[in-house]
Amino acid sequence: MADVKLTIDGREVEVPRGTTVIQAARKLGTDVPHYCWHPGLKVAGNCRICLVEVEGMPTVQISCNLEVREGMVVHTESAKAKQARRDVMELLLINHPLDCPICDQAGECKLQEYSFEFGSDGSRFQFPKVHKPKHVRFSEKVTFDAERCILCTRCVRFLDEVAGRDELDIVNRGDRNEIAVARGAELTSPYQMNIVDICPVGALTSTDFRFKSRVWFLKQTRTVCPSCSRGCNVTAGARWNRLLRLVPAENQAVNRWWMCDDGRLAIGHVGADDRLGAPLVRKDGALVETTWDEALRAAADGLRAAGANLLALVSARLTNEELFLARRILDALGTPHRDVKPRAWERDELLRTGDGNPNAEGARILGIAPRAGGRGLAAWGGSAIGAAFLCGEDLDDRPELLDALAKASFVLVLDSRETATVKRVATVVLPGVTSFEKDGSFTNVDGRVQRLLPVVSAPGDARPDWRVLGELGALLGCGAAPRSADEALRALAAAEPAFAGLSLGRLGALGREAAREAAR
Amino acid sequence: MAYVTVRRRELTFAERLYLPSILKGMAHTLKHFVGAGGRAGVTMQYPEEKWQLPSFYRGVPSLVKDADGRGKCVACSLCEYVCPPRAISIVPKSIEGVVEKAPEVFDIDMLRCIFCGYCEEVCPEEAIFMSKEYEICGETREELVFHKERLYEIGATLGADAGVPDAERKWAKLAREQGEQGVTGG
Repeated sequence: MADVKLTIDGREVEVPRGTTVIQAARKLGTDVPHYCWHPGLKVAGNCRICLVEVEGMPTVQISCNLEVREGMVVHTESAKAKQARRDVMELLLINHPLDCPICDQAGECKLQEYSFEFGSDGSRFQFPKVHKPKHVRFSEKVTFDAERCILCTRCVRFLDEVAGRDELDIVNRGDRNEIAVARGAELTSPYQMNIVDICPVGALTSTDFRFKSRVWFLKQTRTVCPSCSRGCNVTAGARWNRLLRLVPAENQAVNRWWMCDDGRLAIGHVGADDRLGAPLVRKDGALVETTWDEALRAAADGLRAAGANLLALVSARLTNEELFLARRILDALGTPHRDVKPRAWERDELLRTGDGNPNAEGARILGIAPRAGGRGLAAWGGSAIGAAFLCGEDLDDRPELLDALAKASFVLVLDSRETATVKRVATVVLPGVTSFEKDGSFTNVDGRVQRLLPVVSAPGDARPDWRVLGELGALLGCGAAPRSADEALRALAAAEPAFAGLSLGRLGALGREAAREAAR
Repeated sequence: MAYVTVRRRELTFAERLYLPSILKGMAHTLKHFVGAGGRAGVTMQYPEEKWQLPSFYRGVPSLVKDADGRGKCVACSLCEYVCPPRAISIVPKSIEGVVEKAPEVFDIDMLRCIFCGYCEEVCPEEAIFMSKEYEICGETREELVFHKERLYEIGATLGADAGVPDAERKWAKLAREQGEQGVTGG
């Protein structure tokens, strides 16, 4: 389509025909105030806050629904535009309860932001405010406050357009207008918590995060959701060294602006009570705490003794760097018995891939699979097991294999939690960390290598898995242990063409495509 | 650099004698002793007597209750945020009723507090006030972390004494209006 040239605030910009003025302004870095407009949703044009002045037009126009024309001259900061926005703000706030001290949205609320920027410092309204239902449970996950709602319909449109469900609607008329669960429907969408994120005010809040912490106290870290192989980009919020919430971070190549509720809520394992905080070795049938040096030595001795007979189960929840370091160890031992444990996950058209291993693709590229003559996980139950290495994995869901492992002479477990596997069968336990506690990268289902960043620090003496595997490898004569995840990735990049040229720094915020063709 | 020579004043004979000054001082002391009727009138008999503190005195920060006896704090955490020495720590909780939120934990570490009064200034609910309480002592560090109950105890005293204004009575007003409009929370 032909480009159109227009002027916004005295600066010229060229955009394709059909672009709206608000998008053209964003291209210039000008953010016109908006509530109802969202780049991922259809235009509704109902909040009226994005008013701008256009030369030659008698009234101010909403920039979200105004298509650019050749030679258009737009003023977003003229006196007329500013006054119009001030007036809209006054109208929106007439019945607003002003309960910011209680409201979870405070700190990331557009009403607060625009009030601060150009709102008035008082109200001229002299009558009792219209009251509406507060703290209504829309569902187990979403709490609704009708008084705070400005009826922008972002939530209604998200469920309709993105999640494909007409579960919310607007009911009643005039100043009694409010959002409600549609008649005959229930709010059950597995993506419903996105409406909490896109709600520009405090009308929709997360029941899970409700009153946990004010958002301005959160240490916010961009990382990757570990719940499925999509690898949705997330911003993790932590306080008191506790992971409190995940919200999606925009990445057009992966998850756009969204993420699923299951992934968002799957953070309980990080602060779980059964986290491992010290290396353990089994003495006289019981696991006792020991030092890292001793545990690593015991682990190395056990692995060396098992040699090519070792059965290895390597988790595809480990990072690329860790898979590489684990493979290095298995190659040194010369064992063909290596496999990944499949992990089921919901599957749908939007984001969920059906594969609960966040680094399934990394494991595939790195060839973590039975070699010629190797025993895969499916064949573990076949005959007796001599020695096994459960690298970042547990077999709690496979009791028959635990029975077999209980008879093995040596079982090394690297994991972050004291699982039933650890308790029952482990000979040596090396405490690893969760994906929210370490540096590294995952390769998502489309082959995009994305960076993990530590959000909280791990309990006790637990160490990042890349460090444990590096040091274990060094003891087994695989070469020096990497001093950082970045160093491990550089070593991986040098060894594996699919990752050629990558380093953690080069991944940037949005990740990079792995050269998967090279791996095939 | 210019300088000035200061000449030391020559002392008179009486001054050099030293005793007259001593006697002068004794006379002054005697005058006050007699003037106070033989009592030590200058010394305040603390702790039997207490200071008359000015209205702007900033003592221990305290939490107050409204006229309905409900704690006013809604755990917005602004005081926690503004507190320069980070003396305040709050954990909010959800409660039933017109107000949705209240502090589960509200601690002020009095070993950290610098009595700056920012917490009182920032509070949007007028729930925290600098009291006139200044007797802060304890035998352990833990004892000097004032918990919610203690802070409300100190605040209630302040509320009675200073008549903390609650003219707006905003929650009562909200409940009334909600009732009139037939709206209930949740």
